[in-house]
Amino acid sequence: MNENCNPLHAPYYADHAVQLTVEVVENVQLARDTYRIRFACPSLAASITPGQFVMLRLADMQDPLLGRPLAMYDVYRDADGAAVGIDVVYLVHGKLTSKLARCAPGQRLEVWGPLGNGFPGQQVDHLIMVAGGIGQTPFVALGKEYLGRQAYGDPPRQGASAGKVTMCYGARSAEYLAGVEDFRACGIDVKISTDDGSAGHHGLVTDLLNAALDASTAGVQIACCGPERMMESVATIAAQRNVPCWVSLETPMACGIGICFTCVAKVRQDDGSWDYKRTCVEGPIFAAEKIDWE
Amino acid sequence: MSASLSVEIGSLRLANPILVASGTFGYAREMAGMVDVGRLGGIVPKTITQAPRAGNAPWRTVETTAGLLNSIGLDNDGIDAFIEHHLPYLGQLASPAIVSIAGRTSEEFTQMAARLSQYDEVGAIELNISCPNVSGGVDFGICPETCRDLIASVRAQCTKPLLAKLTPNVARIADVAAAAEEGGADGISAINTLLGMAVDWRRQKPLLGNVMGGLSGPAIKPVALRCVYQIAQRVKIPVIGIGGIGTIDDVMEFLVAGATAVQIGTANFNDPTVSMRLLDQMPAALAELGAASIQEIIGSLQPKSQPAPNVLGSPVA
Repeated sequence: MNENCNPLHAPYYADHAVQLTVEVVENVQLARDTYRIRFACPSLAASITPGQFVMLRLADMQDPLLGRPLAMYDVYRDADGAAVGIDVVYLVHGKLTSKLARCAPGQRLEVWGPLGNGFPGQQVDHLIMVAGGIGQTPFVALGKEYLGRQAYGDPPRQGASAGKVTMCYGARSAEYLAGVEDFRACGIDVKISTDDGSAGHHGLVTDLLNAALDASTAGVQIACCGPERMMESVATIAAQRNVPCWVSLETPMACGIGICFTCVAKVRQDDGSWDYKRTCVEGPIFAAEKIDWE
Repeated sequence: MSASLSVEIGSLRLANPILVASGTFGYAREMAGMVDVGRLGGIVPKTITQAPRAGNAPWRTVETTAGLLNSIGLDNDGIDAFIEHHLPYLGQLASPAIVSIAGRTSEEFTQMAARLSQYDEVGAIELNISCPNVSGGVDFGICPETCRDLIASVRAQCTKPLLAKLTPNVARIADVAAAAEEGGADGISAINTLLGMAVDWRRQKPLLGNVMGGLSGPAIKPVALRCVYQIAQRVKIPVIGIGGIGTIDDVMEFLVAGATAVQIGTANFNDPTVSMRLLDQMPAALAELGAASIQEIIGSLQPKSQPAPNVLGSPVA
């Protein structure tokens, strides 16, 4: 307890977050049950970094009541490169996302963010991003940043760079693969696996990860987001190979700003014990070896 | 001229009747980036306990129709950490801190309240005798005699204004409120959450890690309004209305039904700046009733007719 000086336990808080009512600019289908929604929010878009998220809900609605945490997919910009708004990609899964999929341009959304710590910006030779299903959403921006194609944050953050970025992307089947062209367009080397063999490698995304690690030299780092069991497997591989690994946890959230204490995960302390940490403000990005997967 | 918004709870004067409820606003500092926290009528930080508590296993919340089930389990660092780290911050705010405490025994409640009494930063103390997610504390909110004795014990050792936060999970909430008043409470906070549960029938498992939890949000507002009405009819001390408040209409309904102030709870989760909007909207709502002060509308409800007594208690003492 209290292992860092901040009594709130989180160096990252909602202290730079803004709450906005925004209008949907576009809402397009990318893959089966998967959509990309775009809304204007210049100040939020200027400050958000890869791996951070926003809370989003339908304005003036009490059912569904709560916002949903959605990672920033990318920032969209005007002709001069100024941040105008953000895109988020979501899988239709429950009550809110079903309604969201039917949102037309002009519909009002309530949004607050940027939230969470985001991925660290580091210098590595080779960044391997491992995504399972809808866990791919933070990786366009992360890949662009590490490849030097785009800076994020206000002021634009420095320090993130990689000579090479590989994306290992596993999905149930080809029809669920979303945004592959976005990844390729920014220079990311994309490897695909599907559970049914309908695209790419017929098997697990961890097979792709192992192959990528085999082919890689020193200076490799992993960033991972997806189903918990997949992240646990990736964490195990990273530990066995002694490769640094960051995971983005997706625990259910109610507020996104650190006040409800819903989204806790068991995180190992330096003394070997564990404590519940809120993924919204103390994460969602954690060093993989810190997570007690149970 | 705009109407006066100030209200009093015992010796505690609040600049306005918009407060935030325990467990829904952290320790205020978390919200300071999004909310001008000093504008609030009062702040009730997350409930503290004598010893640190890790809280319950996930899932800790589940969304239900227009509501939220929670079983957080009073996750907190304990009273020592609160006094050391959070109280100094709360003390420098313009809004009074109404510190929420939960004990397992009468002695624990009394010791914590006595200790907090020594701090100028503490504006008042709210006794959480109604959390459905931990064993112990809730018992004090169910039986009127036990409630009265607990409050009397705390009262004897505590110089701060004392609020009793009551559970709706009882047959006659006004009886418990009357007992709290008799024990020496300066005000009643009502209500805490309604005990509920959610089930995944495909997996044949409860959704909450703790199986059952407390329901909050718009879904419970009518129950909260009924409780506040019944309590306000019964006791002379002020009632603070809590339960599903998220719009200015909700606020006004509680005031008219007898609440002296309100606490915003779950709405802070889905609309973090809601309290500021309600403060902005308050003067116009009072003007609509032609009220020169908020006092004129508190408890101004005029029943159409006297409802018949029922199992949940007569609406009028």
